[in-house]
Amino acid sequence: MTTDTTEQTDAGGGIAADRTVSDPDYDDAFDAVVVGAGLAGSAAALTMASASLDVLVVERGTSPGAKNVFGGVLYTPTIRELVDVEDAPLERYVGEKRFGVLTEDDETAVSIQPGAWRDDPHNDSYTVLRGDFDEWFAEQAVEAGATLVTETTVTGLLRDDDGTVVGVETDRPDGTLRAPMVVLAEGGNSLVSEGADLKERPERGDVAVAVKEVLEFPDADDAIEQRFRLTGDGGAAYHYFGDGAVGDAFGGAFIYTNDDTLSVGLAYRIDDAVTTQPNPAETLDHFKSHPAVAPLVRGGRTVEYAAKTIPEGGAEAVPDLVHDGAVVVGDAAGLVLNNGVHLEGTNMAVESGYYAGLAVADAVASGRTKAHALADYPRSLESSFVVKNLEHYEWLLNAVEDDRDLLFSELPRAVADAGAEYFRVDHAPKHDHAANAKSRLFETVGGWRGAAKLAWRYRKVIS
Amino acid sequence: MSNTPSTPDVENASLEDRLYTVKYEDPGESHLDVQVVGFCVERCTTDDCVDVCPADVWRKDEDGEPVIAYENCLECGSCRFACPYNNVVWEYPENGSGVTYQYG
Ligand SMILES: Cc1cc2nc3c(=O)[nH]c(=O)nc-3n(C[C@H](O)[C@H](O)[C@H](O)COP(=O)(O)OP(=O)(O)OC[C@H]3O[C@@H](n4cnc5c(N)ncnc54)[C@H](O)[C@@H]3O)c2cc1C
Ligand code: SF4
Ligand code: SF4
Repeated sequence: MTTDTTEQTDAGGGIAADRTVSDPDYDDAFDAVVVGAGLAGSAAALTMASASLDVLVVERGTSPGAKNVFGGVLYTPTIRELVDVEDAPLERYVGEKRFGVLTEDDETAVSIQPGAWRDDPHNDSYTVLRGDFDEWFAEQAVEAGATLVTETTVTGLLRDDDGTVVGVETDRPDGTLRAPMVVLAEGGNSLVSEGADLKERPERGDVAVAVKEVLEFPDADDAIEQRFRLTGDGGAAYHYFGDGAVGDAFGGAFIYTNDDTLSVGLAYRIDDAVTTQPNPAETLDHFKSHPAVAPLVRGGRTVEYAAKTIPEGGAEAVPDLVHDGAVVVGDAAGLVLNNGVHLEGTNMAVESGYYAGLAVADAVASGRTKAHALADYPRSLESSFVVKNLEHYEWLLNAVEDDRDLLFSELPRAVADAGAEYFRVDHAPKHDHAANAKSRLFETVGGWRGAAKLAWRYRKVIS
Repeated sequence: MSNTPSTPDVENASLEDRLYTVKYEDPGESHLDVQVVGFCVERCTTDDCVDVCPADVWRKDEDGEPVIAYENCLECGSCRFACPYNNVVWEYPENGSGVTYQYG
């Protein structure tokens, strides 16, 4: 149910009857205003509405999801507890994860397909398209009682004399709206939070630029099933690293299978994008033409091209989450884990929206909206997987930075060479090949001692 | 054995065709600008806004002034982070105009 500000007095939540369509006065009609109907915003709205708060969600797109882009794989452990995901517009469950390291012309890959992923709840990992999913998820918040207005952008926050946030300004005529609480769920390009000094603009080394294409295969109906060996609702998530994916930049590329389309894209640090790396569109062309990637995407017709940024500063870059009269959730709070092996923001967005929603509901119920009355939100988040994961991988960002040439260029090359050597079919005995392969790898990492050091430094990535 | 090349040709759509896939409503005026043109002309030698943009929105004319094809913009926000002089003025196009993604 998507309504426009000018025609929405009957939409859900608690707008007093004496307010008319021609003279809308929503001041203090709502307990909380949510900025943005993405995953974090809808999770917060749903949680608050379920706790009987009157909630208004303001979304700038023509519908929720209209402005949103991700890879991607939606992680559903928390969503499952809030809504019935069986009804959600999911594309495929992730039955296989594959990690490939690409040099200019080689690939070395690892594939994981645990049998358990084929069974419900499929490791809580599903490919989705945000245009569909976000709209559905926002509808669940509306069904719980929240009111949604679309095509409306929040342009600033209102504050009272002591600086407490008391509402929002929007780009609608007479567009100010007072409310005791504001939930900032505006995503990574957080103009409102920055404009109101709730956070600083992230450094460009802590932000990635991402591009993505959705591909259709009009000439080959079963191209996706065939090329990715899929059966039923099963799908695949392929991740790529190394020179063949994103040149010498820090980042990676991906291919995800949807029901009848592929999502193909890549992301790398803006710091690198402004230097040696060709622009994002050309980097994507290059990746798609890699000998190990081209057979998967060939013949695909681009039905959509999209771009977005990813905040990836980790735990150190997370701003204050609570303020007097306001909370910050999801990507706006930098809650994304992107360490190479994991690219997860959806679960953190939902988890933070949920905890923030609970804390706001308690605060509003007791009539207190200062930061200290909202402290349950950061407290709950810190003891959840969200902050634990961010902190757990903090070291990685620093370690990778120090070792980047080795990790993204030299090692992939050596692994590919070593693999080729190990499996070489000629007249030499196998153990010669194995010995050659080993020495090729060892040369690169600096012998036993270097290998041991590397293994130690990266031991926590998969733990 | 046939002599088909071992790597199949991938026909990548041109940027123009790519941008054409995105539903777009023109807000009528640019939502992008620069704070001080002088920075772009005199100080800035790296043109980071141009390098980062996935949609070829930013170009510089021969005087070094930025030319902004705002109607190509995918609203990713990258140029805002990329400019080392914090010189990009970036607002959302009004009332839901700009891009609308169908897939996302
Ligand atoms: C290319 C890419 C690939 C990714 N892949 C994955 C993946 O595979 N798995 C995963 O878990 N995560 C992935 N992520 C991260 C994930 O997408 C985000 O962490 C998640 O979408 C964050 O949700 P959010 O609700 O905080 O923000 P968003 O989804 O960005 O939602 C913000 C909402 O606020 C609205 N809005 C913004 N400003 C205003 C305003 N001023 N007024 C009104 N409305 C406003 C926007 O229109 C939008 O609807 C990926 C991200 C990118 C960019
Ligand atoms: S990077 Fe900044 S200063 Fe340089 S041309 Fe672009 S907007 Fe101007
Ligand atoms: S927001 Fe993105 S697409 Fe738009 S001009 Fe900036 S970099 Fe280009």
